[in-house]
Amino acid sequence: MVRFFSATVLLVLFCLHAVVVRAQDCVYRISGTVTDNQRHPLLGAVVRIETDSTKGDVTDTSGKFTILNACQGHLMLTCKADGFSTAVAHIHIDGNNSVQFVLSADKNQLHEVVVNGVRMQDLHTVSHTELKGLALLQSRGKSLGEALKMLPGLNTIQTGPTIAKPVIHGLHSNRVLLLNNGVRQEGQQWGSEHAPEIDPFVANRINVVKGAASVRYGADAIGGVVLLDPDPLPINKGISGDAYLIGQSNGRMGTASMSLQGKLSEKLAGVAWRLQGTVKRAGNFSTPNYFLKNTGISEQDFSASVGYKRNGWEVAGYYSMFNTKNGIFEGAHAGNITDLYAAFSRTRPITQSVFSYNIGRSYQRVYHDLAKATAIYRFANEGKLELNIARQKDLREEFDISLPFTKDPELLKKPQVSFQLKTHSAELVYTQPSLNGFSGNVGVAGNTQGNVFRGIRYLIPNFRTYSGGAFAIERYTYKRLTIEAGARYDYRWQQVYQRNQSTLATYHTTLEFSNITATGGAIYRLSDQLTFTGNVGTAWRAPSVNELYIHGVHFSDASYQDGDSTLGAERSLNTSVTMSYQSTKLRATIDVYNNIIGNYIYETPQARPVTLLSGTFPAFKFTQDNVAIRGVDASVQYDFLSHFTLQSRATIVRGYNHTAKDWLIYMPADRYENGLVFNLHEFGFMEEPYLSVENVSVLRQDRVPPGIDYAPPPAGYSIFNASTGFTTHIRKHKTQLDFTVSNFTNAAYREYLDRFRYYADNIGINFIVKTKISF
Amino acid sequence: MKNKSIILFSVTIAMLAWNSCKKDEKTVAPPDPENEVITTVKLVATNAADTTDVVTAQWKDLTPNDGNPDLTLAAMTLKKNATYNVAVTFLDETKSPVEDITEEVQERSNFHLVCYTPAASLNVAVQRTDLDNSTPQMPLGLKTRFTTGGASAGALQVALHHQPSGKNGTDCSIGSTDVDVNFAVTLQ
Repeated sequence: MVRFFSATVLLVLFCLHAVVVRAQDCVYRISGTVTDNQRHPLLGAVVRIETDSTKGDVTDTSGKFTILNACQGHLMLTCKADGFSTAVAHIHIDGNNSVQFVLSADKNQLHEVVVNGVRMQDLHTVSHTELKGLALLQSRGKSLGEALKMLPGLNTIQTGPTIAKPVIHGLHSNRVLLLNNGVRQEGQQWGSEHAPEIDPFVANRINVVKGAASVRYGADAIGGVVLLDPDPLPINKGISGDAYLIGQSNGRMGTASMSLQGKLSEKLAGVAWRLQGTVKRAGNFSTPNYFLKNTGISEQDFSASVGYKRNGWEVAGYYSMFNTKNGIFEGAHAGNITDLYAAFSRTRPITQSVFSYNIGRSYQRVYHDLAKATAIYRFANEGKLELNIARQKDLREEFDISLPFTKDPELLKKPQVSFQLKTHSAELVYTQPSLNGFSGNVGVAGNTQGNVFRGIRYLIPNFRTYSGGAFAIERYTYKRLTIEAGARYDYRWQQVYQRNQSTLATYHTTLEFSNITATGGAIYRLSDQLTFTGNVGTAWRAPSVNELYIHGVHFSDASYQDGDSTLGAERSLNTSVTMSYQSTKLRATIDVYNNIIGNYIYETPQARPVTLLSGTFPAFKFTQDNVAIRGVDASVQYDFLSHFTLQSRATIVRGYNHTAKDWLIYMPADRYENGLVFNLHEFGFMEEPYLSVENVSVLRQDRVPPGIDYAPPPAGYSIFNASTGFTTHIRKHKTQLDFTVSNFTNAAYREYLDRFRYYADNIGINFIVKTKISF
Repeated sequence: MKNKSIILFSVTIAMLAWNSCKKDEKTVAPPDPENEVITTVKLVATNAADTTDVVTAQWKDLTPNDGNPDLTLAAMTLKKNATYNVAVTFLDETKSPVEDITEEVQERSNFHLVCYTPAASLNVAVQRTDLDNSTPQMPLGLKTRFTTGGASAGALQVALHHQPSGKNGTDCSIGSTDVDVNFAVTLQ
């Protein structure tokens, strides 16, 4: 029934849109600079869109140009100046872009073009940020959670050095959505020690939407969305690729990742492909004073894509596989609350360790694969219809430190708990062509998932879910103002299968949720440099099965958890304002937000502890209250002298429970990052060499509810990182090198959002070498 | 017209994808019959001077996940100023016949330690009398000797610690706790 309902909504919305669509309109701006290879601005260079010869500009005395009203889609940009070689840039426009041309006087030398697109997400007025350029290269080899920490407004919630999850504006786990190549990642994200089942190397573009994004991406997008996208498949013939080799001293970790891509010709013209794989191996990480026993990683990932383009049609297939085994630090095991307090009172873990690649119990084994098929049809009027169908399987197995008591040798090899989640999803989106300043999309999405829990102890029940939604987002741009509005309807049906503990009979419970979400916002470009963006949006999330039905001991934090089957859905209202200033010398962005969440679900401590045979456990029950999370993210880059840049980032979050009249637990502490970068255009054989020093200072989190946490928040800390690197060409192959020393003073510290702060320090000094070779 | 056929096509594909999945989740896995859960901790104290004087106590919870133990038999009365040889057994009484898990603890004796902590008010000294198989051998604690003093009463904590590394035979704070129960002991 749900499926037919969704299909009907789509048809209605689609027909409405089809009437509006007539011709094409173009709203984007391309701006940039033209310089010679000494970085001197060139006056009078002609920059033109070759595919649309009416549009172009001539650079002014500072080498700047601006082309207004560029159309969405692929276009070819040329830059000509007397006495210089002509530069050509192929760019894809789906937002405002800045392009830097570096022209060479020598006709035999290649010019250089740097395109810095501000890639617009489907919701233009919700604040977003991208990991790109040097920061993207420097994030390579890190887990997704760790990599995103380099962006303002993002933190990580960690379980030791191997497990990190992104925190957007104070929210994480199933309040943050991940999109792997456009498909909602469906795993076991409810646990704070369940890291994203994704290899960041699959993506060359990592964008983060900070704020309520349910209108476009559906339920759960209360904190935000992380979008991982590979580059488009190649449009030029021949085989090309990238290879990364990364080594780090701490954990003696090695990572190798390679991608190979090509385009076929003749009979198979139009077919393009890409293969990509990553292997990662690490042993015990070390803090400044001791090794962390059993913290190794063994990870193997693979992805492949193939696409075919002809006329307006485009079809593509994508497959990705993630496979990891993570050791869990041995000092962090607590059978009951007595063990936990004993562990807290130690200044260092009781078991001495040395370096080893061996991963023993306890460990997690996680497998995730995704297969996706896409069909796109581009209409003659630039409108686009895109269909995505995906199937994914997530298998998570946890092996406890203790073997089960049994006389069956087979059972000793089995995980104590395993979760298998299979999801089938489909999404159909129509993107209307820009017309008279109007643009937007409409779509329907649906998915079904089945969760199978197996384990020798009970944790969460099985379930089957069907959900469907339909949305429409519309934008209107008039001169310097863009306004945006959108709405969505979602329906979710869930049947939960459990077994009665005493009669052992299976029974089921059916839950239904439906929700309307909306968003509205505006972008106002006060000048070429200064832009204001504001958005008010809603998002929702249905309670997850663990919040409803978990019952038993959660070993990782020695607590006894009880779900509440009467919980309702969370709803949020998020208001955000972004100010962005972009000039050649100064680039600054400030986000201010206030996220009001009704029926926010969290664990509250119970007065009476639970007495089990294995000891006494503090009891927690899931409950819901009205809370507000507000904060500021700021980032500034200032080129105060030629070759020198100052960069600063600040992430400040406040979470308050208005029902309980108290602070929210586990909110990130205030974080400030300040750095100085020295860079040159060229030095000997080195292109774009740089040298940077950075300080990361995190204050102590004092805003915590009293008496809930096992241990008080750790002290604030300040660590220093330094890096240097350059680009060069080895036999015409572009090669990038980066050498980083993180925590170079080898400071011992503990982070509030690290679950292992109770047991051990964070990792100490780390030397990291990264090489990227493009061929 | 073309648009309509695209929609029709996509809806068909979507429905195929939906219906192709099996409904594994409707079969809720039963508890693994081979897995043993400790439901009962049993103490058997034999008077060293008179082997016909045997006292037993047991701490039992047949539904070990819900926090409602049966404590009716979790008490024992011993003679003052006497010596008892005590054996502890761990049982799974949800199985028929009852499974003795003590054997498995014995098998992995190098990684286990049973600890006995009398309350300050209770006048009893506990000494482990058995050893594990490590080199050199270290105390295990499945077998103990209780030396009772003057008349007194209080709780005796019995805890089974799993110590996969770092076992030294004396430190009970190492590792994680599999069993941690209290018996009410009276000496008279």
